[in-house]
Amino acid sequence: MATITTANFKKGNFIEFRGEPNQIADFQFVNPGKGSAFVRAKLKSLKSGKVIEFTYKSGESVEELPIETREMQYLYKEGEAYVFMDNFNYEQYNISESLLEGFIKYLKPNDTYQVLVYGEDAVGVRFPKKVWLKVTEADDGAKGNTATGATKTVVVETGAVITVPLFIKEGDTIGIDPETATYLERG
Amino acid sequence: MTTWRLLKKNPRLWQRYFVREKVLRAIRLFFEDRQFHEVETPILIAHPPAESYLDVFETTLFDRNRKPREAYLSTSPEVPLKKLMVAGMGNCFALTKSFRNMETQSSLHNPEFTILEWYRVGVDYHEIMKDCEELFLFINTYLQRIDEQSEELQPKVLVYQGKDIHLAAPWERMTVAEAFAKWAGVNFDEFFDMKKARNIAEKKGYTVEKQTTWEELYNQIFLNEVEPHLGRGKPTVLYEFPGVMGALARKKQSDPRFAERFEFYIEGLELGDCYSELTDWEEQQGRFENELKEIARLGKTMYDYDHDFIDALKVGLPECSGIAVGVDRLIMLFANAKTIQETLLFPGEELFSL
Repeated sequence: MATITTANFKKGNFIEFRGEPNQIADFQFVNPGKGSAFVRAKLKSLKSGKVIEFTYKSGESVEELPIETREMQYLYKEGEAYVFMDNFNYEQYNISESLLEGFIKYLKPNDTYQVLVYGEDAVGVRFPKKVWLKVTEADDGAKGNTATGATKTVVVETGAVITVPLFIKEGDTIGIDPETATYLERG
Repeated sequence: MTTWRLLKKNPRLWQRYFVREKVLRAIRLFFEDRQFHEVETPILIAHPPAESYLDVFETTLFDRNRKPREAYLSTSPEVPLKKLMVAGMGNCFALTKSFRNMETQSSLHNPEFTILEWYRVGVDYHEIMKDCEELFLFINTYLQRIDEQSEELQPKVLVYQGKDIHLAAPWERMTVAEAFAKWAGVNFDEFFDMKKARNIAEKKGYTVEKQTTWEELYNQIFLNEVEPHLGRGKPTVLYEFPGVMGALARKKQSDPRFAERFEFYIEGLELGDCYSELTDWEEQQGRFENELKEIARLGKTMYDYDHDFIDALKVGLPECSGIAVGVDRLIMLFANAKTIQETLLFPGEELFSL
């Protein structure tokens, strides 16, 4: 494990909190009136998926967890878990719904993703900069609401709803930034 | 996307941004009703009040024939307002901009912010608590009237993020010691002792290092265990702060370990900081000097304190109390926004691509 301080906090970092593995879901600086600076972090437990808030002293040391990245194919959903297969050794891993959160709506069976592994457990997916998905539902572009800047919403094959320019049609493949859920380009 | 682009794209958003002008207008009306003078205090100043916890913005004033002067952006209008109290102005307020450096990456701070300070002569801080109660009711009533949101006005209820906040006086009042006992299970008499405070924090699982200060222990327990409970469903006035945490506050006479200072909270959010003002010039000078030493130790931007302010205290600051309210947070509440950035047309993080 590597020791870092709150100055190195990044969204998505994996750290130890009270002996348990956690992911930093978000953090903010806090300046109490007439007090030194603190950092309030939202920590998501890798075990329970629960999110708690904890306020660190600014500059306090924390242990960063060693996380590996492996290429895995997404297979299917089973109950609350998403099943992935390591492309190298064909081992299967389950990732719970709470740890995939914002990415679920872009997951496409048989596509390969960068999966984050801590020890024996898969704990999340690294968001790609761009995902390519096919548009499965789109209204006629001409009816778009011009008052809102000539955009409309479409549904892609994984079920995600995306705001796109009017010229996008059903059957098009579009590039999406999964982090911000925004349309990037037409394929 | 920058805010002006968002607004062009989605004109419905304007309503949220217009809450600001309405709140500013309501504040001015409130004080006009109470015959307070409105004062313009300087934003570009030569001497910030010495406060080691704040980081100042530094600039230079150039003069054609003489040497350049160090200049700073004001961190609060407190000192000029107090000089005017010494001069005999009476009750007054400033609704102005202040600047604090190093306050980024927060949904509750902007490097440049709007601050409201008001001062009342001849009263202690309990009177200011009443002002706060009245001010919030006044603004809420004003907003509901001009918006005609519904036929039946509910001026005593503010809805924030789906929760009803009951604004009717009296608000809940709780001392810091009571709040620590209630929410953190900490006996404050023990906590004053540094050794015991370290033990208490360690037992709770906080990291306590050699250089950890009492203030850090206090604030870490406060921020983790106490603050989230304050102002739920009804504002909370938290009062009697440890004396070390009120650079310009008067000590409580019956127990000098505490300062006559209060803060008030709504939904875990701190909105204002008030104290019975310190009028003793010698004590003020001593505290400023200590703060300057601390600023030097922390390696922060150095400056000299305002000697003219100490001279003003020598002439005599009348008994008075004053408060600073973060107006951006107040607007955020009334606009039912989650961050102050959502109420600013030009938030700092956008201007500086933070």
